[in-house]
Amino acid sequence: MSTQARGLNNFISDLRNAKSKEEESNRVEVELAKIRQKFNPGDSKLAADGSNPSLSSYQRKKYVWKLAYIHVLGYEVDFGHAEVLSLVRSKKFNEKTVGYVALSLLLRGSDASMGSIVDTMKVDLTSGPDPTGKKKKGAVKNDAVQCLALCSLANISGLELIQAMHVEVQHILVSKTSTEQVKKKSALCLLRLTRMSPDLISGREFAPHMGELLRDQHLGVVTSVMSLLNGLASQQPTSYECLIPNVVHVLSLLVMKKECAREYMYYHTPSPWLQIKLLKFLQLYPNAIEGHDIGMGGNEHVNQVMNVITKILMETDVSDSINKSNADHAILFEAVNLIVVWGTTCPVLMRDGAMSILGKFISVREPNIRYLGLMIMAKLAQIEGSVEGAKKHQATVIVSLKDADISVRRRALDLLFVICDTDNADRIVDELVAHLVVADASIREEMVLKIAILAEKYATDLRWYVDTILKLISISGDYVSDSIWHRVVQIVTNHPQGDLQSYAAATLFVAVTPHRCHETTVRIAAYILGEFGFLIAERPGMSGEDQFHVLHQHWFIVDTTTRAILTTAYAKLANLYEECRPLVAPVFARSKNSSDVEVQQRCVEYSTMREAFSPESVEDLLREMPPFEDKRRSALEVRLIETEGEKSAAATKASTPSEVEQQRALMSIQMLSNPPAEEEMEPIEEEEEDEQDVEKTSANNNAVQLRDEVGMDPPDVNKYNGVSNPMVVGIPKELIPAMRKAFSNLCTSPSGVLFENSLLQVGVKHEYIGAQGRISVFFGNLNSTPLQNFRVKIDQPGHLRMQMQGTQDLLDDGESDGCTVATKTQAKLLILVEVTAPFVDAPSMRIQFETENGDQHDYPLRLPLVVTCFMEPVNLDPGAFMQRWKSLEGPDRECQEVMKLPPSASSGIDEGYMDRVASVIVDGLKFGRCQGVDPTPWTVSGAATFRTGAKDMNGNNINVGCLLRIEANPKANAFRVTTRTLHPLCSKAIKNVSLVSIKLAA
Amino acid sequence: MISFILMVNKQGQTRLSSYYEWMDMQERVALESEIIRKCLSRSELQCSFVEYRGFKVIYRRYASLFFIVGTKADIDVRKVLKSTSSSKGGGDGGNVVKGGDKLYVENYENELGLLEFIHSLVETMDRWAGSICELDIMYQLEQVHFLLDEMVMNGYIVETNKSNILRPIDLMDRESKKNENMFR
Repeated sequence: MSTQARGLNNFISDLRNAKSKEEESNRVEVELAKIRQKFNPGDSKLAADGSNPSLSSYQRKKYVWKLAYIHVLGYEVDFGHAEVLSLVRSKKFNEKTVGYVALSLLLRGSDASMGSIVDTMKVDLTSGPDPTGKKKKGAVKNDAVQCLALCSLANISGLELIQAMHVEVQHILVSKTSTEQVKKKSALCLLRLTRMSPDLISGREFAPHMGELLRDQHLGVVTSVMSLLNGLASQQPTSYECLIPNVVHVLSLLVMKKECAREYMYYHTPSPWLQIKLLKFLQLYPNAIEGHDIGMGGNEHVNQVMNVITKILMETDVSDSINKSNADHAILFEAVNLIVVWGTTCPVLMRDGAMSILGKFISVREPNIRYLGLMIMAKLAQIEGSVEGAKKHQATVIVSLKDADISVRRRALDLLFVICDTDNADRIVDELVAHLVVADASIREEMVLKIAILAEKYATDLRWYVDTILKLISISGDYVSDSIWHRVVQIVTNHPQGDLQSYAAATLFVAVTPHRCHETTVRIAAYILGEFGFLIAERPGMSGEDQFHVLHQHWFIVDTTTRAILTTAYAKLANLYEECRPLVAPVFARSKNSSDVEVQQRCVEYSTMREAFSPESVEDLLREMPPFEDKRRSALEVRLIETEGEKSAAATKASTPSEVEQQRALMSIQMLSNPPAEEEMEPIEEEEEDEQDVEKTSANNNAVQLRDEVGMDPPDVNKYNGVSNPMVVGIPKELIPAMRKAFSNLCTSPSGVLFENSLLQVGVKHEYIGAQGRISVFFGNLNSTPLQNFRVKIDQPGHLRMQMQGTQDLLDDGESDGCTVATKTQAKLLILVEVTAPFVDAPSMRIQFETENGDQHDYPLRLPLVVTCFMEPVNLDPGAFMQRWKSLEGPDRECQEVMKLPPSASSGIDEGYMDRVASVIVDGLKFGRCQGVDPTPWTVSGAATFRTGAKDMNGNNINVGCLLRIEANPKANAFRVTTRTLHPLCSKAIKNVSLVSIKLAA
Repeated sequence: MISFILMVNKQGQTRLSSYYEWMDMQERVALESEIIRKCLSRSELQCSFVEYRGFKVIYRRYASLFFIVGTKADIDVRKVLKSTSSSKGGGDGGNVVKGGDKLYVENYENELGLLEFIHSLVETMDRWAGSICELDIMYQLEQVHFLLDEMVMNGYIVETNKSNILRPIDLMDRESKKNENMFR
């Protein structure tokens, strides 16, 4: 404008000349103060609407423009609304224009002052040209006023405004008398209104109007109407499906015939923006071409659209003019998007064509085209059957990963992520890891996350996965989020098959050996060594003590979270290795008053655990963690979705399990359906909580104790029971109840069968004198072929002294391959045992062998060697029994449990049942029955001495006196077992055996 | 849709901003300065697209002026009617997100299309003021706003025909000259 306001010009010049941000903001403050003063001088009266009537039109416009200018500069402008509104209300066109522009800039629909302007806007909206068309000049002006009102309404729409005006806007759009200028603005205005409240327009009634509008000659109108249509059709696709032919028609006019007003040609391309919008509309109907025979005379518009797409694909070329080239490619990319949406319903030829065009694009120099090419290829590759085409370009994509431009690198990373599968995972992951070294900070986190997901998804060997993650940590550990290392722990814990766990333990042992290593490494190592350290403890230089030392060297430089994890690891180490206890104790003692609550609590709990609980419950608490529940979505996917949005190419990819993953999952399910011994133990649900498991478990401590049944479950079924691995056959689940029963039987009878399946029968014969026993185990081959590499390993707990003798090479000494048991023959094992202390768990016996066809079998069993084997009956008279019974009161000495019989188990408790119980107590448990103490048939009392081979200070054998009382409640169908001994373990062990025996007697 | 259009000089000072969705001033300033910093630091050899905080930013440089367009996906809520959802099946392409009983249809702008739209905008401004420069924008801010309003409304391209765009501005010019000049 030629005549600018001088005040405004000066102001702008001042701002331009401002040397610093401070100077600028000072100037703005001065100006704001001045304008405030002008708008509300205080002495003169304000008009009813709050504006200052003494301002001239010029002044008002000038100050409002200054406010607009200040606003654009980024300063808050929270006054002057009244002046803006008074401009809008003005009858003068030039005041109105300023008013409306300022209105759109400074106010929003929810502002309180908007209410007062509704009527003015309504009048302006409906001030359409006089239908008689007499006063030409006036008409043009009103048309412009209408446009102004529409424009503001579109920009600031609030709910109140919508309710007041949507009818008018709709009417204006479809009215025959509206000018083109007004139509196109009202279309976009309506779009805004329907976004705010989608129920304004009923699609079925409105669609024909839209069809009419699409026939408009004015391409500006069609462009705006297409924006509106895209919005409406997104909301109610079915209502507007009928417009597909219209849209295709417009599109084919533009593409095939280049029919377009000269003014709308953009570098010889007919309105590229309109073409884009038309193609976007078609993308809303993914099934549009489904079931049509393309090119076979089917539906006319389907043929038309196929021709259009083919033409776009075939004839788009790089031209000299960058503008022309960009415009054409914009359309081309939109056409490929359409193909992506059609997906598998699109002819393969067309998809392949698109893929090869994109292949060309991703290798051009022009960064924009390369960027978009990579982006769309990632989308296209997700269509079934298209990924192979994309994989051909893998090398090119990897080059783009090293592009100078972060935007391009991101896209390349995305695409690599999408095309990665089992075949090329090694290559791509290695390539990504290599690139990570030089990648800049802004993309690292994303890369690390994606590498971690790919490595997990496509690892054919999980050891490779563990290695990859460790590499990630060593390269850019700061970007490895907790969820990534938690995932490693989950995976290692959940895959007991193969040697993954020992491999992970050994690898991490090496990884934390250097004094300087990343804290995350220390965390994983602490967790893994705590859990699986025992698997490598036999290796040279990796003993429990060594494990403690490599971990503990980091203690002083790590933060408290890591210390808390280390604490748990220490507790587990100390539990397993006697020699670690003196090392760990001072650490706990010192950290008992750590300022961190978590560390403090753990230390206090771990160090008092041994005093507070019985050794076996400590054992329980510090046992390996059960497998994690497989959540539907891993934490990593959740992160990816957070950063990239639910439906990004990457997120879709991450949530579809790969083949390898499915295989693994299948294996894990098999394993889990073969439940581990502690099946009742709640799986820890939240990964974050898993370090706190001990606290959690200690809450359940009593429950765990109660469930423990003489440790008669096969040891570590979850670990050895390798059904999951096709190569190693374990004990099938359905055999376990029978095995438990056989075991229980054997505990109270001198001989019997411990285990039997189609290949092998294990028989046991055992007899005891005092603290000593003689156990013969027979391994009979029931198979028609020999069992090879047959070996047996019996663990020798501290409380039992054992001597073993057996068939040559039968015993697993770690060197020989075991013996061969020919068909229909037996291998024998003789064990001489002496007990030195009470115990709860029966010693485990692991049998391994191979059959002719190469299957490896691995059966974890337990010897039926329980504490009652070493009892000697004592016959007491009732008085003596009661006297001793009373003297042994107290929580450390007594052990009690109530057992309710399952209703189906027996006909109920009757006298016959009680007789059987009494006889099993006498014959099986070797207790002396104390008849006189049982006045009714519903109690059984007995006494015995537990003989050990341990000597006291005087050289006499230590013996423990044991009292047992069983009370039945036939009404409740329940038994209460109470044992009292001097030794808490002894009480518990006897109670457990009694319970089992009572059950068996049923 | 287009979320905002910025015209920025080489020093990173905003000369014109037009937002098509409401944003708090604080948020606006923070976003602007970060995006401008990112755009200005990029070289000619890099592509014209920057992704930032959910925006896809498309920019183009003309001598000392940067034109920056921020776009966001449109999100339309589609009500799932029993009949439509079953007839449409699951084949809703790549841009439909399910959330409860609603579908969120996302619609992205075409990047190259907007890149050329910037050029078209600049060409239009050239026709209006000769070769456009920073000063034209600063001192005739209201005119530029009118012009932009003719081309973009409510975040969508409304007109690309240069004569159509400039006609109302000419009209306004003539009007104000006739009655009383816009400012005195």
